Amino acid sequence: MHSTARRLGVAATAGITALALSSCGFGGGGSADGGSSSIDLLVPSYSDATQGLWEEIIDGFEADNPGTTVNLEVQSWDNLNDVVTTKIQAGQAPDIMNGGPFAGFAADELLYPAEEVVSPETLADFQDAFLENASVGDTVYGLPFIASARALFVNDALLEEAGVETPATWDELRDAATAVSGLGGGVAGYGMPLGSEEAQAEAAVWFYGGGGTFGDESEITIDTPENLAAAEAMKAMIDAGATQADPGATDRSPLFDIFVQGKIGMQIGLPPSVGQIEEGNPELEYTIAPIPTDDGSPFTLGVADHLMAFQNDGDKQEAITAFLDYVYSAEVYTPWVQGEGFLPTTKSGAEALAGEEALQPFLEALPDAQFYPSTNPRWSATDAAFKSLLGTIATDPAEDVLAAIQSQVDAG
Amino acid sequence: MRAEARSLPARPARPRGRELLLALPWIGPALLLIAGVVVFPAALMFFNSTREISISGIDQGSAGLDNYAELLAFPAFWPIVGRTIVWVVVVTAVTLVISLALAQLLDKAFPGRRIVRAAVIIPWAASVVMTTLVFYYGLEPYFGIVNTFLVDVGLIDTPQGYGWTKNPETAFGWSLVVGVFVSLPFVTYTLLAGLQSVSREVLEAADMDGASPWRRYLGVVLPQLRPAIAIATLIMIINVFNSLPILRTMTGSLPGYEADTIMTLIFKYIQTQHRLDVASALSVVGFLIVMAIVAVYLRVVRPMRED
Repeated sequence: MHSTARRLGVAATAGITALALSSCGFGGGGSADGGSSSIDLLVPSYSDATQGLWEEIIDGFEADNPGTTVNLEVQSWDNLNDVVTTKIQAGQAPDIMNGGPFAGFAADELLYPAEEVVSPETLADFQDAFLENASVGDTVYGLPFIASARALFVNDALLEEAGVETPATWDELRDAATAVSGLGGGVAGYGMPLGSEEAQAEAAVWFYGGGGTFGDESEITIDTPENLAAAEAMKAMIDAGATQADPGATDRSPLFDIFVQGKIGMQIGLPPSVGQIEEGNPELEYTIAPIPTDDGSPFTLGVADHLMAFQNDGDKQEAITAFLDYVYSAEVYTPWVQGEGFLPTTKSGAEALAGEEALQPFLEALPDAQFYPSTNPRWSATDAAFKSLLGTIATDPAEDVLAAIQSQVDAG
Repeated sequence: MRAEARSLPARPARPRGRELLLALPWIGPALLLIAGVVVFPAALMFFNSTREISISGIDQGSAGLDNYAELLAFPAFWPIVGRTIVWVVVVTAVTLVISLALAQLLDKAFPGRRIVRAAVIIPWAASVVMTTLVFYYGLEPYFGIVNTFLVDVGLIDTPQGYGWTKNPETAFGWSLVVGVFVSLPFVTYTLLAGLQSVSREVLEAADMDGASPWRRYLGVVLPQLRPAIAIATLIMIINVFNSLPILRTMTGSLPGYEADTIMTLIFKYIQTQHRLDVASALSVVGFLIVMAIVAVYLRVVRPMRED
C-alpha cells in the first residue's frame, strides 16, 4: 500500500510540475519587483572574448545605474534564432537582442522603432549608409552594432611559388588559382566555402562582383542573367580544379583554418580573420587585397549586425534607452568593437579607430560596400535557400540551382 | 503450440460506469500524464500544421491545408519519402539478420562468454552522436583514418582521400552502416532474451527426431522467437524512422536534399528556414507514414499470431 501511495504522489507531483511548466511556457513571465528593473539581453558569441566584453559593459552600466540589472545570455550563432523564436512563442522575448536580420520581427510588430529607444544624439551618430540598411520603409528598427567588410586574403608564398600575381578580375583569379592548385600536395588555389555556414556570403561576393544583386527591399531576384553569369564563373573555377575538393559541402570557418595553415592560395576573409592568422600562424606571409570582380571594379560585401529592442510589457523602455545610450557611447563602444576585431558603425567610433592599421584595407573598401537585402521580409527565406542549395552548383547546372533557390524563396 | 492457449477463461464483463468511477482515482494521474506528454503535444503539432506561423514564431491565423500543399509541391519531397522508407527498411532488416546470428552465438556456452556479451552491449552506453562522430572523423578527407588507409594501400591516389561524407550517395550509405551498428546491441539482446526462453525439451525432441541443425533452427527455434522478433522489429521501425542524430551528423554539411529523410527535412525546415508550420505538417506526414509501415508489417507478417 505504501509504495502505491508513493507512486501516486510521484505521479501527481510530475503532473503538477508538467502543468506548471506548460503554464510558464504559454503564459509569459514578467517580473513585478517594483522600483528596480531588469533587462534581458540575448547576444550571439562572436569569439571567445564576447562574453567577457559584454560583462565589462554590463558592470560599468550597473555601476552607473543602481537599481537596474542586466541579465546576459550568450548563445552560439547556430542556436540564436531557435532560442529567440522559442522565447517569443513563450511570450518571453528578450528586451534587447544582438542579431542579424530584424525585418521579420519588425513585420510581426515586436520591435521598438529605434528613435523610441535611443537618444537623438546616439541616433545621429550612426553612419548614414548603415541606418538606411537598418530601416523598414522609413522607420529604423535595427541599431547597427558591428560592421564587417570582405577582402581577399592572399598567401604570398604560394602565389610566388606558382609564379602568379594577385588577381583583380575573375579571369586572372581563375588562372592564378589553377596555377596554385597545380603545385599539388593538398594545396588548393582558391578556397570556396559553399557549405551551409555562410553560402550566401560567397554567392554575394560573386553575384554582386559581376553586377548582379539578390534584389531589394520589395523583391528578391536570384535567377537573373547577371547572377547566372556569376554562377557559371564559380562553376568554371570548380571545374578547372581551382578550388578545394567538394566546395559544396565545405564551411567557411574550417576552410579558413586551412588557409591559416598555409594550404590555400586565396580566400575571402573578414576583419577578424587578421586576428585568427595572428593567433594560429603568425609566420604566414599574406596580404589583404581587394575582391576580384568580373571587370575589376571595386566592390566589397558589407554586413552589419544589429541590436534590436523588443516591446514586451512596455515598462522597460526607459531602462532599455539608458542601456543602449551607454553601449553606444564612444568610450564603451569602441573597445567592444576593437576587442572583436570588427568595424564600428558610428561616426565617433570610426574616428576613434582611424589609426588602426590592420583595419585600413577594410575601412578603405567600405565606401564600395553593398549589403544583403536584409530588410526584405523574404531575406530570411533567401538566406536559408542559399545555405541549403547553393552548394549543389558543384554538380548541377547553374541555371537549375538558381531556379531552385528562386522557387524556394517564392514558396517561403 | 498446444491447445491450452486457446482455452483462456472467459473475458470479464465490461466494467460498468460505477466501477469505472471507482477506478478513476487510481488511473487518473496516469491518464493525466498521458494527456500531458502524449496527447497534448500531438494535438498541438496537428494544430500548428494548419496555421500560418511567421519566422519569428507568431501565429498569423489559419492556413487551411496550405502547408501540406507546399510540401507536396516541393520537388524533393517524394524522393525524400522514398529514401526514408529505404532508410527504415534497410537498417531494420540488416540489423535483424546480423542480430539473429549474434544472438545465436552469444546463446552458446563458451569460455569468456560474459565478456563477449558485455562487449556487445557496452557500445549502447555511448551516445549515438559520439559513435557517429567517430565514423564521421574516420571518413574525413585529409586526416580521417579510413582515407589514410585507402591512400596507403593504393586504392585512392589523391593525398586528401575521398570525400565520403561530402557526397550524398556515400554519406547516406555510410549512415546506413552506422544505423545498423548502433542498433545491434538492443536487437541482439532482445533476441537473446527470446532464445533463452526457447524450451529445451522441444529442442531435444527435435534432435531425437534427427533434425539437422539448420532444419532445427528454421522449424523449432525461429517460430518460438517470433514474439521477440516482433517486438524488436516494431521498436526498430519507429526508432529508426525517428532517428535524427546519425543522418544529421553524417549528411549535415551536404548541400541540397539528396541525402535527406523526413526527419532531417523537418530539422532543416525548423533550423534554417524557421518554418514551424511546414515542419509541423511534415511531422504529421511522418507520423502517418510510420503508422502505415507498422500497419503493413503487422498485416503482412502477422508477427503476433500463434500457430
